[in-house]
Amino acid sequence: MSSRKGQKDAARVVREQLARERRRKRTLWTSLVAVAVLVIAGGIGWAVWSSQRSDTFTAPPGATEAGTGIAYGTGPVTIDLYEDFLCPACNQFQQTSGATIDQLVSEGKARVVFHPVAYLNRFSTTEYSTRSSAASGCAAKGGKFQEYAKALFAKQPPEGGAGLSDDELVDIGAGVGLNRDDFASCVSDGTYKAWTEHVTDDASRAGVTGTPTVKVNGAEVADRSPAGLTAAVAAASK
Amino acid sequence: MTVTASHTGAARWAAVRPWLGVAARLGLAAVWLIAGGAKVGDLAASGRAVNAYQVMPYDVATVIGAALPFVELALGALLLFGLATRLAAGISAALLVVFVAGIASAWSRGLAIDCGCFGSGGQLAAGQAPSYLPEILRDLGFLALAGFLLIWPRTPVSVDGWLAGPPVEDDDE
Repeated sequence: MSSRKGQKDAARVVREQLARERRRKRTLWTSLVAVAVLVIAGGIGWAVWSSQRSDTFTAPPGATEAGTGIAYGTGPVTIDLYEDFLCPACNQFQQTSGATIDQLVSEGKARVVFHPVAYLNRFSTTEYSTRSSAASGCAAKGGKFQEYAKALFAKQPPEGGAGLSDDELVDIGAGVGLNRDDFASCVSDGTYKAWTEHVTDDASRAGVTGTPTVKVNGAEVADRSPAGLTAAVAAASK
Repeated sequence: MTVTASHTGAARWAAVRPWLGVAARLGLAAVWLIAGGAKVGDLAASGRAVNAYQVMPYDVATVIGAALPFVELALGALLLFGLATRLAAGISAALLVVFVAGIASAWSRGLAIDCGCFGSGGQLAAGQAPSYLPEILRDLGFLALAGFLLIWPRTPVSVDGWLAGPPVEDDDE
């Protein structure tokens, strides 16, 4: 009687132990599969990202030595402008302070390095930020960067849409006096898209997290009004 | 009387709990799929959003920014299918804790950034106020979903359940 009960109990203990063992194995394997899925997903992300990056770029004429922006003017103080042609705040900044910057350049007080970064590709359906920045490189090649940048801001498309088409970008170029055929082939070939990426990457590395960012001799300027800029340049040239 | 009352209460909880679990699992899956999907189209921007927190060198931030959207999508898929639910919930919770810590640290350092949780990210324009508190509260809500699944990972209609076969009385896994 008691030995039968003992046998039954022993059998139950063994059964439970086997079930526990099976469960442990199952959990181990599903966990391993899940971890593998996550690691592989992360690896795919890294691989996609590195395949998207281009290693080489050609900077347009007029670019700084490091190729991180277009330089103009010869003043002793350097003003770095980080702007995206799609960014409304940049357009506003150009309207309020653009003339002041031009004046500082023409008076020989400052030299400008304009970094046409592509930060806002997500806010157009056609990567307008990259296309417009690369087109500004084409304009630099034709010697009309400043005029073209101004015209791009004047015709700035709204965020969230398709932006301006390549044809419209070419029309604006022809409008500021660029050779239409040369400019059109430069835009449609995407000659300076890799350069745009380099400019954008360098700006991020330099700690620029938003547009517009204005630096005077490397120090970020919080007050981007005409008075603030003039004061910052005056202080830097002392 | 009290015994029967608590007994029916427990019975009701036992009947409802699995379906609350399904809701938590699918809800958290949706969070990850949407968050990952919003970032996956522009990996460079995702890297910049990470870099905007200024807690790691730029090169590290770009790698994290590129890998994160895919990891989020994979977590979402694991939860959607209910595979290794407890592990996925644990990793979700760990990630969310890191996100909350990141936002809190950006807040405490006076940075004016968008959390970049569902795309966008980076520095805010002048005059635009950051919304750190709502962002943190939202993440804590997601953390509650993950916590539920950590405690009760077995849910109906899941690969875990299918692998385990019909539930036995002591199914605490």
